[in-house]
Amino acid sequence: MSSVIEMKGERKGFKEEIETTDMALFVRTSDESMHDWNRQRIVDALLRETYIDLDTAIEIAREVEELITTSKIKMITAPLIRELVDTKLIERGLEEARRMHTRLGMPLYDVDQLILHPNKENANVPHGPEATNLTLAERIKKEYALLSVFSQEVADAHMRGDIHLHDLGFVDRPYCSGQSLEYIKRFGLSLPNSIAMAKPAKHPEVLLAHMVKFAAALQSHFAGAIGWDSVNLFFAPYLVGMSDRDMEQLAQMMIFEFSQQAVARGGQAIFTDLNLYWEVPKHFENVPAIGPGGEFTGKTYSDYIKESQRFAWALFDVYLDGDGSGRPFFFPKPLVHITEKFFHTPGHMDFLHHICEVASEKGNTYFVFDRGETAKISECCRLSFKLDQTDLKEAREPWKMRYCALQNVTLNLPRIAYLAKGDETKLFLKITEFMEIAVKAHLEKKHFIEKLLSLGEKGPLSLLAMERDGSPYLRMHRASFLIGMVGLNELVQIHTGQEMHQSKQAFKFGLKVIAHMKLMVEKLSQRYGMHFVLEQTPAESTAYRFAKLDLKFHSPKSGHIVKGDISRGEVYYTNSTYLNNSAVLSPIERVRQEGLFHPLIEAGALTHIWLGEAKPSKESLANFVIKTFQLTQNDQIAFSPEFTTCNLCHRTVRGLRASCAYCGSNDVDGITRITGYFTKLSSWNKGKIGELRNRYRNQAFLKETEGTLMLEA
Amino acid sequence: MGRIKIFTKAKCPKCPAVQSIGTELKREGVAVFNYDLDTIDGLAEASFYSILSTPSLIIEDEQEREVIGWRGVVPSLQEVKQFLFKKNW
Repeated sequence: MSSVIEMKGERKGFKEEIETTDMALFVRTSDESMHDWNRQRIVDALLRETYIDLDTAIEIAREVEELITTSKIKMITAPLIRELVDTKLIERGLEEARRMHTRLGMPLYDVDQLILHPNKENANVPHGPEATNLTLAERIKKEYALLSVFSQEVADAHMRGDIHLHDLGFVDRPYCSGQSLEYIKRFGLSLPNSIAMAKPAKHPEVLLAHMVKFAAALQSHFAGAIGWDSVNLFFAPYLVGMSDRDMEQLAQMMIFEFSQQAVARGGQAIFTDLNLYWEVPKHFENVPAIGPGGEFTGKTYSDYIKESQRFAWALFDVYLDGDGSGRPFFFPKPLVHITEKFFHTPGHMDFLHHICEVASEKGNTYFVFDRGETAKISECCRLSFKLDQTDLKEAREPWKMRYCALQNVTLNLPRIAYLAKGDETKLFLKITEFMEIAVKAHLEKKHFIEKLLSLGEKGPLSLLAMERDGSPYLRMHRASFLIGMVGLNELVQIHTGQEMHQSKQAFKFGLKVIAHMKLMVEKLSQRYGMHFVLEQTPAESTAYRFAKLDLKFHSPKSGHIVKGDISRGEVYYTNSTYLNNSAVLSPIERVRQEGLFHPLIEAGALTHIWLGEAKPSKESLANFVIKTFQLTQNDQIAFSPEFTTCNLCHRTVRGLRASCAYCGSNDVDGITRITGYFTKLSSWNKGKIGELRNRYRNQAFLKETEGTLMLEA
Repeated sequence: MGRIKIFTKAKCPKCPAVQSIGTELKREGVAVFNYDLDTIDGLAEASFYSILSTPSLIIEDEQEREVIGWRGVVPSLQEVKQFLFKKNW
């Protein structure tokens, strides 16, 4: 058989009649080279990548060659040949072989769009070449994850929108982590693959430099947040005798260093959480302190309370000023732990007023409530690692206190209610079914990460495999596996006809669903010997994704349920166990009611109080915080003001405005909290914009009742 | 007269003591509801009343408003009766 083969590119003008076996056809491959046509390459690839036999491979190669020859195609690329081969595999019913032989990649159009337009899946990713690299890599790894890391059952459940596997683009890393500064204080900055090893820091500035570098290294090994425990306390031994001016300078350096890390991975700021205490936490009281040079100072942390408090105060001075334009710092996030001991520590009211002033002016402060004997490390948008007895014993050697959540899988709760069609038994069965798929996803991810870790310090997760203190940095036996939820409010609405804030019955039904999930994770933890925990998924894009998918699969019912504006495409489900954002509730009632879910959600929960333009007094907020601690079960609260910042005159004003209040420019950006962090509105996805439009701002209530907030027990 | 809600768990050493108070009050005609925190309904109801430890006992009025509660402690039958039969709440 002979045929005419047209050449591509610079050889386009040549035409010759040849035998197909000697085709002078060039194939453009992915390794930036042009290869002569060679049918054997198809055979080799099929035998290398799939389990099919030699005869079938040869037959397929011949058929593909014939197809190319007869089609008179002008440009042949390796992806095209691969697709043609895949078609032949499908024709033979060899679907598994086709899956194994699949090529991962993106359409030209999509890459073009990506380079030109910002990615809105994560508001913390700016637009630029680094960000594009990140997104491209994420797309490929996402496909890889769904094809190769997870089983088809799990991948299909994700693609259908029954569940959401978070951070698939970072499938080869754990989800997020909680760190102890003591690790780098004790061992210095000695990272695998690093070209220089630094001994333990002798000066506070150097310790800060180590912390920032280590955070960047960790960001490359975790998908999400990097939280730091008791930062002010662990810095304290380095701060003895430091002047106020130098303390202020160090605090400024810390906040600016972390807020300006937009040069790190993908141009993305490191999602950093600073856990801060006014008191010395009980579990660190008698712990020997590590000071300059990684040496024990001969004192305990209780002896450093003065320095610890001065540093915490200085950090909030910086937060109060804001950045160079007076805007709130987006990162690092300060999380202040409010404990029983907090209220017995001298000066606590002054400090509470100080952090409440920051909360009112800039919104930065997160108030984390550790009631009774609870102790935890908080991070991400609300995630927390509760410390159990083993952890508290380990507090004697605090460098061991490092934690991670390996993955987060979120359930689409409204989907469950659509499927149950009002049948309660079916509804609870479906929840169980979805949770079992989530657990399967966790087992598969754990297996994959363990495979990577088994390669040790020579493998891709070398940092997490390093054993500076005798055990791997990532302690798998202490890892949590998160099961999150989106749209409890809508599940209740579909099933009972009312939203959770509309009746006690509906609210109680919501509690019943979460109680079921809580009992299930306990059972599943026992069954698998793993630590499954519920978390309020921040759901920055998941709440939007689920709503969109349900509009597609469960219309017309879903059209009456999803929140937001369908005509604008700004649809969403209410996050996690929240009450409807637009419900007119006093802030304290919202904090109380949402807080009733929090004891069931071990891995972290948060209530937002949207302030809008309101600026309540620090005394009023302090009163609110105390009442929340004393009279509710709420885990964490944050007050969120709104700002407009001008890109022309660089000034910032309160409230969301279409133009600058100072210079009138229309080149302005709105700033407020998205799920658990501040960012510019221009980077928000449509679902979150829809939510923002609906948010009920509590300004009137706070103005009217300032200083007189009361809670009923 | 109000009604009683009792919250217990299977593996809770002090729970039988509160359960017997419930049995006694039931015998005297008081409406007593028992909730097991190892069940969905029990855990949901406990969450609604911010009950984090067992045994717990609460007295509520006809509108399901909590009048008084003992959380994680065992009250005496006398104490419970004192509040239960108190007027004007």
